[in-house]
Amino acid sequence: MTHGIATRASPARDDYMPSQKIQRWIDLLAALLKRRFPASLEELTREVPGYAITVSKTALRRTFERDKDELRAFGIPIETVTGPDGDTAGYRLQPGHFYLPYLTLRSATGTTKPKKIDQYGYKTLSTLTFEPDELNAVVAAAGRVRQLGDPLLAEHADSALRKLAADLPVDAAAPPDNELVPPRAKPSPELLATLGQALQNRKRVTFAYHGMGDGVETRRTVEPFGMFFLNQHWYLAARAPGEDTVKNYRVNRITEPTVNSSRPGTHDYQIPGGFDLRTHARSRHAWELGTGDAIDARMHFRANSGAASAALRLGEPIPGHPQDRRFRVRRTDAFARWLLSFAGDIVPVSPRSLVDEFRGLVRETLAHHSVPPSLRPSASPPVRP
Amino acid sequence: MTSSDQLRRILSLIPALADGEPHRIQDLIWDVGIDRALLLQDLQSITERFDVPGGFVEGLQIFLEADTISVVPNHFLRPMRLTKGELCALELGLAMLSSERPIEEHRAIHTARYRLESVIAKLPEEEIASDLRYATLSAAGDLEHLRRLREAFRQRRRVRLRYRKAAEERASVRVICPYGIVFASGMWYAVAHCDGADEVRIFRLDRIEGVEQLETKFTAPRENVVDKILREGRAFQGMPAGTLRVRYSPRIARWIAEREGKPLDQDGSLTVEHPLADSEWTVRHLLQYGPEVEVLEPSDIREVIVQRLDVIASVLSQ
Repeated sequence: MTHGIATRASPARDDYMPSQKIQRWIDLLAALLKRRFPASLEELTREVPGYAITVSKTALRRTFERDKDELRAFGIPIETVTGPDGDTAGYRLQPGHFYLPYLTLRSATGTTKPKKIDQYGYKTLSTLTFEPDELNAVVAAAGRVRQLGDPLLAEHADSALRKLAADLPVDAAAPPDNELVPPRAKPSPELLATLGQALQNRKRVTFAYHGMGDGVETRRTVEPFGMFFLNQHWYLAARAPGEDTVKNYRVNRITEPTVNSSRPGTHDYQIPGGFDLRTHARSRHAWELGTGDAIDARMHFRANSGAASAALRLGEPIPGHPQDRRFRVRRTDAFARWLLSFAGDIVPVSPRSLVDEFRGLVRETLAHHSVPPSLRPSASPPVRP
Repeated sequence: MTSSDQLRRILSLIPALADGEPHRIQDLIWDVGIDRALLLQDLQSITERFDVPGGFVEGLQIFLEADTISVVPNHFLRPMRLTKGELCALELGLAMLSSERPIEEHRAIHTARYRLESVIAKLPEEEIASDLRYATLSAAGDLEHLRRLREAFRQRRRVRLRYRKAAEERASVRVICPYGIVFASGMWYAVAHCDGADEVRIFRLDRIEGVEQLETKFTAPRENVVDKILREGRAFQGMPAGTLRVRYSPRIARWIAEREGKPLDQDGSLTVEHPLADSEWTVRHLLQYGPEVEVLEPSDIREVIVQRLDVIASVLSQ
């Protein structure tokens, strides 16, 4: 038996509120989409039952404005239309701005034909043609995004593909031609989603951060500037309120995030126009990091092993000395350890302080490895001189 | 769950039902990509009304049976245009592809992006911030080599590879049949049949110095070699010939423990067993930790480390 949905007599308050909002939004969109001309709030009130039951004009206006702002934030282009005197004449949602255009796919045998709808609002929709390699790229891009482990991004990519699948053979597009082995340390999907929402809405976020240097967990409040995936880890690029430096927080070291819930719908901060996430997120060696002054360090390449040849490309050539390179170093301790990994293929030439630091590291490491573990007095951690 | 999430699902649900015919709820779960409980909750949200008689929404009649649902809508018969979030997600993926794919494919990637931008929902004057996320898989290795390998893989063509391991002075030349491209542990690899060795080998991108596509084609094995390697859990570090057991000091153990997903020992140190594939690579890898790591076994690795350090010390004293 087919039946309409029954009305519950006495809904629980918690269930009631979200449903009411969704119903109001759907009703408002339906009321706007059916019109050729802008509608006033009074006209909309007659067709949106959720507005008709509000207790006062002030409450009605407040509810409508909030709905309009939230739907716009969601991406629905509700326009406010003004009259010749500059006052608001009404509100409009053009079907062509809301509905997906008809999509077709060109192929060797012709172009696919989407099923068109012979009704007001749908007749005016434009048609957009995809080439097969473009559709393949979009499907592959969605696959790439899915592999990054951020559920919000994956949901958005999947949702986009479902829309395109209304007209296009998305399932038949070329499958991805490579595989990713996921990293071991993955942040929780909920955490990524929370940080993503804070970033999208420009809201401050407070969290507990496990500092690896000291192993201590501290509370931080930051303004998110971006999120980036590098070396198989997600990072949050963010700035503490009132500070200039944008720091990176590894997302899997973040716990207990709470997004500032005060003044919803408003931004807590602005991302400066000059900030470029791509440049900020550039992969760097540990010795390039830090806020101290960089020193010029000259290295001599004694051998052309594969690893040394790769390192040679990182340095700046020195005219007349093809086997030497200059490096800009901020952290000499990290640089000395990096040099050690070349097993003598690269040695420091200058400055003297760096040569001495490297020599001390070699001496200390040699002393450490010269004693077999069985002859050590205890397993206590080594103490650096 | 926010109202926006629910609205997104509902707006994608209605066009899927828009023909007025009954649809199996089970099929919708697949089509809309959500679980049964959430689907029913969404349906309930738009059908259980407290302000007007049940089942009534202007132009939207919804009928539910035990296993099927049908809708008679006048609105929402087409999906909504892409939202900003959806566009940004796909743009991020396209940007990643652009850095990995052959130049010949850039035009398609670029125009795909243009097409997507033209189906986004936005106010005429609205700016879309598409630069809040950035992703790259690895900067190590020459991405042009990756592009050529991928092209050869697609066209099933052999390639001549110049390949040099970390400790080798000269690159060796190999002819390989690329069976697949894999990203693992922060590095790109080609899984390929090496004609010279007559077996499947794994080649790290950052050790590849040249890729030349050959005219001769190959036939891919019926079995998916890449899948088999992944199923077997084989590390992309060459063929393990033994086990390396090392202890990291408490000064660095936290980072290693996080990377390896292992708990620390009681004294804050970390003891780990690694597959030992390439002893030369292993020595160099361990040297980067200086005195903060000690080799528990095998002892010959420790001896090689000492020899190398003796050489470095003598060079520095000259």
